[in-house]
Amino acid sequence: MSTDTSPRQRSLEPWQDPRASPYVRIERVTKQFGDVYAVDDVSLDIFKGEFFSLLGSSGCGKSTLLRLLAGLERPTAGRIYIDGADVTDVPPYARPVNMMFQSYALFPHMNVEQNVGFGLKQAPFGERMPRRERAERVDEMLALLRIGELRKRRPDQLSGGQRQRAALARSLAKHPKLLLLDEPLGALDKRLRENTQFELVNLQERLGITFVTVTHDQEEAMTMSSRIAVMDAGQIMQVDTPTAIYEYPNCRLVAEFIGSVNLFEGKVVAVDGDQVLVESRLGTSMRMRSLHPFALGTPVAVAVRPEKMRLAEGGGGDGVNRLEGVVEDIAYLGDVSIYRVRVAPEQLVEMTLTNIQPRTEQALTWEQPVVMEWSPTSGVVLTE
Amino acid sequence: MTPMSASGLPRIARVRRLGRLLNIGVPYLWIGLFFLLPFVIVLRIGIAEPALAQPPYTALWQWVDSGLLEIRISLQNFSLVLEDDLYLAALLGSLQVASVCTLLCLVIGYPMAYAIATAPVRWRVPLLLLVVLPFWTSFLIRVYAWIGILKSNGLLNNFLIWLGLIDEPLQILHTQLAVYIGVVYAYLPFMILPLYANLTRLDRGLLEAAADLGCRPLRAFRKITLPLSLPGIVAGSMLVFIPVVGEFVIPDLLGGPESLMIGKVLWMEFFSNKDWPLAAALATLLLALLLVPFVLMQRLEQRLQSDDDAARP
Repeated sequence: MSTDTSPRQRSLEPWQDPRASPYVRIERVTKQFGDVYAVDDVSLDIFKGEFFSLLGSSGCGKSTLLRLLAGLERPTAGRIYIDGADVTDVPPYARPVNMMFQSYALFPHMNVEQNVGFGLKQAPFGERMPRRERAERVDEMLALLRIGELRKRRPDQLSGGQRQRAALARSLAKHPKLLLLDEPLGALDKRLRENTQFELVNLQERLGITFVTVTHDQEEAMTMSSRIAVMDAGQIMQVDTPTAIYEYPNCRLVAEFIGSVNLFEGKVVAVDGDQVLVESRLGTSMRMRSLHPFALGTPVAVAVRPEKMRLAEGGGGDGVNRLEGVVEDIAYLGDVSIYRVRVAPEQLVEMTLTNIQPRTEQALTWEQPVVMEWSPTSGVVLTE
Repeated sequence: MTPMSASGLPRIARVRRLGRLLNIGVPYLWIGLFFLLPFVIVLRIGIAEPALAQPPYTALWQWVDSGLLEIRISLQNFSLVLEDDLYLAALLGSLQVASVCTLLCLVIGYPMAYAIATAPVRWRVPLLLLVVLPFWTSFLIRVYAWIGILKSNGLLNNFLIWLGLIDEPLQILHTQLAVYIGVVYAYLPFMILPLYANLTRLDRGLLEAAADLGCRPLRAFRKITLPLSLPGIVAGSMLVFIPVVGEFVIPDLLGGPESLMIGKVLWMEFFSNKDWPLAAALATLLLALLLVPFVLMQRLEQRLQSDDDAARP
């Protein structure tokens, strides 16, 4: 894991503490559907109170992993532990886990109140919560998600956002220790999604629940998560904090999946302490800091995020970490502008600059030759 | 601008209205021509009196010499049907057979429909084909085949004797039991098909959600699958109940003297007694009576929905 590459040194997070025991432990779990490995030998520890996101493109196995946690799928191999207990063979109805489904899966023949209260009525008679308490809990959940006035409505009488709240209220009603969210915000429009993201994080902090969520939306994952696992083809590529995933991706796939990134292919020509000198295919030299040792001649890619690029001031310098090109495209987004600069016939470089000046007074325009530069700590060196 | 026609309506709107009229008109025309019109004819015969004529009932109106129009309406048939115990008994017999058979079809058909709906996709079409396969053979022939199975030296009795379960043949044919067997056999597909259509639409995600909330499979069936398949149950039950009430062939061929059903009585009045007006009156009353469960079931369905709305959490 690359947690140790994080430059921040603050108090130990649970996943950094060797003595902390994980709340959820996924141990070498494989799930096969026919010949397809939906989840391929995945091991993962998730700690109490985390907001953990499984991120990946569709079909990467993230939803299957979530369903394995819920007990809706049985693993082909491997064990799953929740709160220290082996739950691999425990059916879904006996697990201390609740899930919010991507489709919400609200019961169409019950109103909001009955949907939310459904989970509370399922325990065997002796252990069931008394009716008064059940009603109170339902009221509490409806109030928490501000859908009290919709309590008598059926799912088909609700809007998308209201349905999502009802589904969330239902999954929270039993006060699960572990809540699984499958693309919780997928069906919402941008504005509603952003509001709900913050609400989810607030809820999580208030109720102290461990959240595991599945999403293909990297922005959603970045906003909400304590840690992110990036998955591809049934395997976990990297597990880390949003910052570390963004700043220090451990492979090209992760770098390209999260945000945009400029990749310059080349090979290592010199190593000096933690500095690596890369001769890029563009013919320029790039000096980057790297915490991984590289052998000379290793083919690598230097990854630099568009916002880490800046306009070079004056000539000067030794030409290291510098690229010359011509502005080909400008996307004005209000707060920032994205410039696409052609540095070679087959390579465009993206540079994001904050719009300090109004657009009309900006220095850069189409077809303008520019020199861009970045510092050795502004990117990472990745192997294939 | 839309070109305006002479009538002042935009042409597109007129075409649309015509299209809509055609759209609604065709089924109305169909129902009017093949359901309403025959019913009016039956009703008209029902209020006539029997006569030795061709057709064997009196005319509804006729011109009397003086240029007066004479209209004769007789309610005698209706009052006769309502007074005579025979008809009431036949009706009750029919309702009993229909109720019991509907229930049996439901109990047998539901698991079958459920099994087909939850079978792997590649199995579903073959299984459904098996359900409708008997329709390839004429209904009448299939009922006759049951005679061969149920009669004293028929397949069933011979088989039971061969097994050593019985020493001498059971009298099944020409009993009420044979009627039940025949009706359940003949009408089972009408229960299975609407149930299947309903159950395949059931979102499996709902059962997963129920399990996730701590609901065991059997309870999930009771709380989720069963209530959501109620429209299928109602549709299937009506498709069985209503035609069975008027069923004539099965009680006539398989039933005995004690299996008195209204359809059989109707047939007797019509063909044996040649009393068309009485038969027509009987048919009219039967139709009116069959509307009652139809309306009741629709009411029940509506009430179940609003009940759910008002129910406590």
